[in-house]
Amino acid sequence: MKEWMEILIRSLGLFFLAFFFVRIMGKKHPGKMSTFQLVNYIVIAILTALIAAKVIPSFRLGLVALAVWIFMPMLMDFLAIKSKILHGLIHGKETVVIKKGKIMEENLKKAKLTGEELIRELRAKNAFSLADVEFAVLENTGEVNVVMKNDKKPVTAHDLGQKVAPQTEPQTIILDGNILYDALNNFGLNEGWVKTQLKGMGVDLTNVFIGQVDSSGDLYIDLFDDMIQLPQPTVKEMLYASIEKSQADFMKYALETKDEKAKKMYADNARKLETLMKELETYLLH
Amino acid sequence: MTVGSQVKQTLASLKGAQGTLRMYALQAQDEKEKNAYTEALETTNDVIKDLENRLKTLEFEEPQFKGY
Repeated sequence: MKEWMEILIRSLGLFFLAFFFVRIMGKKHPGKMSTFQLVNYIVIAILTALIAAKVIPSFRLGLVALAVWIFMPMLMDFLAIKSKILHGLIHGKETVVIKKGKIMEENLKKAKLTGEELIRELRAKNAFSLADVEFAVLENTGEVNVVMKNDKKPVTAHDLGQKVAPQTEPQTIILDGNILYDALNNFGLNEGWVKTQLKGMGVDLTNVFIGQVDSSGDLYIDLFDDMIQLPQPTVKEMLYASIEKSQADFMKYALETKDEKAKKMYADNARKLETLMKELETYLLH
Repeated sequence: MTVGSQVKQTLASLKGAQGTLRMYALQAQDEKEKNAYTEALETTNDVIKDLENRLKTLEFEEPQFKGY
């Protein structure tokens, strides 16, 4: 067999072999791998290249070496899933580097991390001042994760004591001017609904690039033609405003009327509408 | 503007709000959100009923404005 033919066949075979095995070895991001896993992948890559280019003359012997480097990590991953102790041995354990705002120097030394490196990692997590950090952990991937002090954390709705509406992810139902029927059926809507909504906005289906429906069933669309100004959906705000207006009207009538019974009725209903407004606020205003 | 016609206006805007609420009660996907709208629908229903009764009394008291 001619030499170039042999290299071609070897390369093609290894191309698919490597592709297949790297796929089944797991879904880990290269940046998030532990050091040893990275070494392992590099060894696989080098072995594959060496066999393909015939630097290792025997195809069979090369495959034996490759098999060890492919199957051993798979075996270790399997063991790590089965046993917690082995997991610690194989993947290492995370190291606490800052506790209660104080740097643990011994742990830093053990992890071979210098002060500069720690500060750099903290900066990467937006903790420019050491005084803001309550707790930091060095993961076995070399990444440092940080918990900020309570008063330096970003404010959440919980901190403000505010209820927020649960938001499920929006579904894309129109793409490139075509209706995606699967997504539409998932939402319990049909083509007629889409057509009515688009008609209400005065837009043709062929002009819609992306159309999404959110959890409360409102349609948001982006058009191919960016010159057309579309009104943003403000139905919810309008609804809230009209309830608010009615509530104010009731208050006014309650003050104006001379009839005691009517006064009470108006006041009661004004109160009802007020509680209603409070309940709907999270859903209508956001 | 008489009291009667003002009340009618409020009634109309409440009914409009109720229509929108009904739409959201039907098309909301989240169970909690759907319930909130359905409850709101019931409340507005009560309020509208009260207001309609009051309107009847008003129309009886000032029959010359009936129908406006």
